[in-house]
Amino acid sequence: MRYLSFILSLLLLASCAVPPEPSAPVIHLSDLKPLPADPSDDVVPLRVAVAAVISPKGTAESYQFLLDYLSQKLDRPVELVQRRTYSEVNDLVESGYVDVAFVCTSAYVDGNEKFGMELLAAPQVNGETVYYSLLIVPADSPAQTRSVADLRGRVFAFTDPMSNTGRVYPTYLVQQLGSAPDQFFARTFFTYSHDDAIRAVADGLADGAAVDSLVYDFAVARDPALGEKIRVIHRSPPFGIPPVVVSPTVRPQLKAELQSILLGMADDPQGQKGLQTVGVDKFVLIDDSAYDSARNLLAAVGPVSP
Amino acid sequence: MKSQLPFHWFERFWSVAGAVSVRTKILGIILGLVLLLGLGVTVQVRATLIQTMDAQLEDQAVSVARDLAARATDLILVNDLYALHQLLNETQANNANVRYAFVVDAKGQVIAHTFGDGFPGDLLTANAAASDDHHHTIILNTDEGKVWDTAVPIFDGRAGTARVGLSEAGIRQTVNAVTGQLLLTTVLVSVIGVTAAAFLTWILTRPILQLAQAAQAVGRGDLSQRVPRWADDEIGDLAESFNTMTAALAKAEEERAEREQLRARYVSGVIAAQEDERKRIARELHDSTSQSLTSLLVGMRALSDTCDSLAMRQHAEELRSVAAQALDEVHNLALQLRPSVLDDLGLPAALERYVADCQRRYPLHIDLAMRGLSGCRLPAEVETALYRIVQEGLTNVARHAQASTASVMLERRDGAVRAIVEDDGRGFDPEAAGRAEERLGLYGIRERAELLGGRLTIESEPGRGASLFVEIPVSDSPNPGAKAGHAYV
Repeated sequence: MRYLSFILSLLLLASCAVPPEPSAPVIHLSDLKPLPADPSDDVVPLRVAVAAVISPKGTAESYQFLLDYLSQKLDRPVELVQRRTYSEVNDLVESGYVDVAFVCTSAYVDGNEKFGMELLAAPQVNGETVYYSLLIVPADSPAQTRSVADLRGRVFAFTDPMSNTGRVYPTYLVQQLGSAPDQFFARTFFTYSHDDAIRAVADGLADGAAVDSLVYDFAVARDPALGEKIRVIHRSPPFGIPPVVVSPTVRPQLKAELQSILLGMADDPQGQKGLQTVGVDKFVLIDDSAYDSARNLLAAVGPVSP
Repeated sequence: MKSQLPFHWFERFWSVAGAVSVRTKILGIILGLVLLLGLGVTVQVRATLIQTMDAQLEDQAVSVARDLAARATDLILVNDLYALHQLLNETQANNANVRYAFVVDAKGQVIAHTFGDGFPGDLLTANAAASDDHHHTIILNTDEGKVWDTAVPIFDGRAGTARVGLSEAGIRQTVNAVTGQLLLTTVLVSVIGVTAAAFLTWILTRPILQLAQAAQAVGRGDLSQRVPRWADDEIGDLAESFNTMTAALAKAEEERAEREQLRARYVSGVIAAQEDERKRIARELHDSTSQSLTSLLVGMRALSDTCDSLAMRQHAEELRSVAAQALDEVHNLALQLRPSVLDDLGLPAALERYVADCQRRYPLHIDLAMRGLSGCRLPAEVETALYRIVQEGLTNVARHAQASTASVMLERRDGAVRAIVEDDGRGFDPEAAGRAEERLGLYGIRERAELLGGRLTIESEPGRGASLFVEIPVSDSPNPGAKAGHAYV
């Protein structure tokens, strides 16, 4: 009898170990059916592209209020579109898939020249519509590291192949020294966003990088600890600030409406919040001539390989 | 009735288990224990293993899905579907238990999955995670077994949801492999256990079987049997006791045989002395007393012839007839004691005379038949024994059986002499105690037969007469010592 109860308790234990059966119907994993086609939206959203100045997640977080504001004003859904590189965004603007885009200065210069990318507005930051390229090194790098010349034979991080501040300007500096980045630096790599380039330097992954001053200020303001890990050793002449552009396919009425909304944001309390999250005082009209300096720099450097 | 049920079961069990040998019982116990233990351990290990591995699978599902969600965020935001697809495939390739992985965008559209062409129906809606969920795991019933499906929101649900399904097929395989190993071990241990048990029972039962064989031999009378003491345990003690007992029995038997031999020799001596004494008295009676009486008779005749007085003559005749009667009685007495004809002419003649004498003295018809006794004579002691046996038998018939007819038959055949004395009297129960002297007489003739290596059988029933059967072995060759009266002279 004792043996019997022992066996019974074993069986009971065994049955206790089985998790409760879900009551859901059986799903046939091998019975594959075609996925339903993407249902076309009833209302075509306004697609806004943001170039990867900062990481995709950071972009999505910071532009949420601004896009929500646009959607509310236009009474139309607004969809954020991001791509890894500037040139992909330019392609979307050219094809008209996106209506509005926040692009980099050099991307505007390139797009304007290639397919007539149109300026819509420009952000004004700290009262200025210019920005700079900052040459940064790790805070613990030798004290005599004071210019790009001191980075010879080191590892250098570029942001985007097309970036004005992150690629074109440092290439210009190296060319001024009579060399080319491939020979001058031991190794270079692309981070595809400025905040990642800052982090690459802060973590010692790169011995130097050139970044957008706006992103740098924004990132250091948000994370002061990051500022302690890096040191700015050079500041470029001013360039026209990265603008807001529209695709040449956008109807003039929509362009005017968008322009009016952006310019009026600073006077609207809700709009002010949207401006604040992207670190902008207000949006202003800007003339194409503001980008001549960048255009000249690009011409001086020559075509850069992507 | 219920309380009797276990006993009923026990009886049924014992009718089977009790009928098999000790060897089988021990083998059964060992095999039963090993199998019980093996199966118990297997069941328990299997259950514990499934429980532990299921818990691990759930943890793994959460960790894989969380990792996938974190790494997919930027890829979804920049719409890098190819990299996303690669990420899913790598996730599946690097985690053996991952049955599928897919990513649903914020609008509920599957934007990348690992199923290849097509997508299983109902899977998309089977699980979901709210934007503030850490994860949400459910167990799905699928055609391939249970699947731990975990949903993790990507970028707080703004970039969609990552879904990962971990199949328990791998676990089942592992558990089945372990179960198989355990069962195999159980079988192996059973084989080893049975082999060991067979050896053990051989060691245990060998002395017992030897004891049983020795006890049977002792039962048949072979007291020389001894068993070796194999081990210093209870069975060894039993063997020792058995040997002591057998030795004591053998000694007792030896003493008994010695006493028996002495007794037989004594009895034989007594019988021989009795026969000698009878012979001497008979001879004395015949030679001396008879001669005296005959002389007396002759004297009486002469006296009566020479006597003139009638009265004297008459008186002498009377005395002569008394003397003649005394001579007759002396003759009868001598014959009763030991007929000289037995010594002189042999058993057949002695029996013929004795039977005739019996018929003359008792109202009894006696048939005497003898076969194979003419020719060479039997050994003297056999002749005497047979004569005395027939004498005792017929005396009993005449005195107690109230029979009208008796028959005596002697036959020598196949190395033995058989004698049968039958009557048609009232019979008796051979087992029941008769009168003491009667029993003593029967005992005497039985003793005579057995002293000569023969045996005596009495068959009788009340009202059915009686038969006395005796058989004494003799050699078929002519007995050189079978001269008249040789044995007892």
